Amino acid sequence: MNVFEWRIPDAVVDTAVWVLVLIGALLCLTAAIGLLRLRDVPNRLHAATKPQVLGLLLICLAIALSQRSVIGIVLGLLLVAPVVLMQFATAPLSAHMVGRQAYRNGTIDERSLVVDELADSKRTPPAAG
Amino acid sequence: MNPLLLVIMVVFAVAAILAVVRIVIGPSILDRAVAADVLLTEVMCVLGADMAINHHTRTLPVLIVVAAVGVFGSISVARYVARRDNTPS
Repeated sequence: MNVFEWRIPDAVVDTAVWVLVLIGALLCLTAAIGLLRLRDVPNRLHAATKPQVLGLLLICLAIALSQRSVIGIVLGLLLVAPVVLMQFATAPLSAHMVGRQAYRNGTIDERSLVVDELADSKRTPPAAG
Repeated sequence: MNPLLLVIMVVFAVAAILAVVRIVIGPSILDRAVAADVLLTEVMCVLGADMAINHHTRTLPVLIVVAAVGVFGSISVARYVARRDNTPS
């Protein structure tokens, strides 16, 4: 009896795929609403980087699940793993760069900061990255 | 057409329109960079949803390439943006 030849019932797979894609789409909508509603660049970054990566993760799971057989799901997971890993690696990177530049640029709402630990080092040399 | 498919399409469309609205109204270039990043990730989500719903994997290379190079947009904008751009805050 070979595990890799098991087939999951079509109705189960279809329902799971629809639900995962729907949740992913709603998370995309959440990110877009946050982008429009929130006040300054760091707040918008907060909305932009988190829900959408989770939505992409769910949609990648749906891609793998939609291959139906167990061997197909394993192969699909191997194929979508680079996408999710790259997104996990690069979303904080770009958010960090944009957030730092927003701080130096003054495009943040300074009154909303509780503690400004970088106030002393605000005069960084221009070539500091 | 499956009503759930219609709902998913409308949700994706509204999300894309909201991101484009943020790109248009700015106000600073960093806001536009963040919104463009969101729009790009949403394009990836739409490609993935298409693959999952229609049971194919033809656009998976596109997804991988977009995931790999999409980050350079906002990083380079953040790196080379002027120290203080001339926008009223």
